[in-house]
Amino acid sequence: MNKGSTRIAATIVTYGFVGLMAFLSIFPFVWMLFGATNSSIDIIKGRMMPGGALATNVSTFFTQVNAPLVFWNSAKIAILATILTLAVSSLAGYGFEMFRSRHRDRIYSALLLTMMIPFAALMIPLFIMMGKAGLINTHLAVVLPTIGSAFIVFYFRQTTKAFPSELRDAAKVDGLKEWQIFLFIYVPVMRSTYAAAFIIVFMTAWNNYLWPLIVLQSNEQKTITLVISSLASAYYPDYGVVMVGTILATLPTLAVFFFMQRQFVQGMLGSVK
Amino acid sequence: MSELQLNDVRKSYGNFEVIKGVDLDIKTGEFVVFVGPSGCGKSTLLRMIAGLEEITSGDLTIDGERMNDVDPSKRGIAMVFQSYALYPHMTVRENMGFALRFAGVPKAEIESRVGEAANILELGPLLDRKPKQLSGGQRQRVAIGRAIVRHPKIFLFDEPLSNLDAELRVHMRIEIARLHKKLATTIIYVTHDQVEAMTLADKIVVMRGGVVEQVGSPLDLYDDPANLFVAGFIGSPKMNFLKGIVEAGGTHVRLPDLGNAIIPVRVKDATPGSAVTIGIRPEHFGETGSASLDLTIDMLEHLGGETFAYARHGDGELIIIETKNGRGLKSGDSIAARFDPAAALVFDADGRRLR
Repeated sequence: MNKGSTRIAATIVTYGFVGLMAFLSIFPFVWMLFGATNSSIDIIKGRMMPGGALATNVSTFFTQVNAPLVFWNSAKIAILATILTLAVSSLAGYGFEMFRSRHRDRIYSALLLTMMIPFAALMIPLFIMMGKAGLINTHLAVVLPTIGSAFIVFYFRQTTKAFPSELRDAAKVDGLKEWQIFLFIYVPVMRSTYAAAFIIVFMTAWNNYLWPLIVLQSNEQKTITLVISSLASAYYPDYGVVMVGTILATLPTLAVFFFMQRQFVQGMLGSVK
Repeated sequence: MSELQLNDVRKSYGNFEVIKGVDLDIKTGEFVVFVGPSGCGKSTLLRMIAGLEEITSGDLTIDGERMNDVDPSKRGIAMVFQSYALYPHMTVRENMGFALRFAGVPKAEIESRVGEAANILELGPLLDRKPKQLSGGQRQRVAIGRAIVRHPKIFLFDEPLSNLDAELRVHMRIEIARLHKKLATTIIYVTHDQVEAMTLADKIVVMRGGVVEQVGSPLDLYDDPANLFVAGFIGSPKMNFLKGIVEAGGTHVRLPDLGNAIIPVRVKDATPGSAVTIGIRPEHFGETGSASLDLTIDMLEHLGGETFAYARHGDGELIIIETKNGRGLKSGDSIAARFDPAAALVFDADGRRLR
């Protein structure tokens, strides 16, 4: 085989692989869109074309689900979890990077080690803790365990390495206290990092399923992911309605991503320019 | 009255001492340059004066008031950093007025001071731009402007020209000198570039290993260095150092690396046979003088107005000769490099100057 044909073969393999990956990524989304327009029977039969049942599915969804309430519940939890996680984790990341102490690296390593503990191992102790605190069946019980995110602390510490220490020195000479440096210099300078972290944390909190399933027991407290799951696990699940719910549940995270994608990319590349 | 005083100021990180007892008096309006090689402690000392590093022991006083534990913003200083340290999310105007806003200065006063500094530094048209829209030189001017608006008693400059290209460095150097003349404020300036030190300073503080080696005016340090380190550090190209042995009577020195040439350099109170170092500046070589070295030219640098000849004796060390009449010279030429023995400096085996 000569050089030219080897190159063509390599290109075909590369494009084939990339195409397959793209298909695998897009297929569930397309299926969701088509599914929302078809009846449950058509979906089970594997129909992959737009159908005429969209209006029925939407109407059934809004009849079966108290949509404003579950979306409000999800939004409340996601926004609260995101704001608190960013506040706590960025302060921790800033602190770990800026302040030297003898035990800093040991504490940081211990924090990173918590990422290795599977959530399944934490569920029961967490549930007992929340029970003792009287927080079962409250949104606070969903939010609290998520705000000290080791990954987000790690992310902020790594990006803080690019924060010029001379900015902090200049701010000190300008008369700012440490908390003012954080608030008025660090936060605005690192806004791309915050944007990227916002998207990651918001999506995780919005899609959170297992922990809310455990701690939220009454229908008034449930989130959209729990409601969709209960629709899908009904005795006769209506997949068209489930797909409508899924589309509606996807919209907020898509909107957040589209509004912040430029900042997200910048944040991932390193925020300080 | 001395405006700034350092009395036996020391700085340690754990058991490692980086500033080893500095005593210094800086008078009102002086332009003082801390100079020395990387790691000599000059920036650390500046940061200690600024309040960005704690002073382990000793006293720092400004206008007679002990400042060791005073907040940086209350010391009456303003600092210009090497990387400019402009707040990237603020415009030039906001950057310059930021410290005043925090100090509770009325808005009209801030506007007036920012306008005044912008006029001095010709920053008027740039006031509404963000730092990323400015060139390196413009950013440096904004950093200086940010310092000016605070009306400090002392300006601290930490290698402010290091990030600029050669042409801009010269330009900004002149700007800073002009600014000092105009504001007549005390300036403490850190650099590793001895040309900057020579051209800007009223007083140079040469540092090495956390110790002040010598303090003096640029020409004092150039003409009368206290030791081998200062002699080698001040001046470009560097002073030539020749290893020598004191001859009997102390009136001549033998140079073993230069074919045992004997030069008539008087060494006071030296034991015959003791080792010394003779220092000769490149411009002190010429066609006249009672001392002479037989050298062969290795390489030439023609700068137009002058020529630097790099010459050696046999396989010995290179000796730099500066001459105005070097256009006719060629590599491989043998020359007799003459100098006046009175211009030669003598250092003992420990590098101390023998006067």
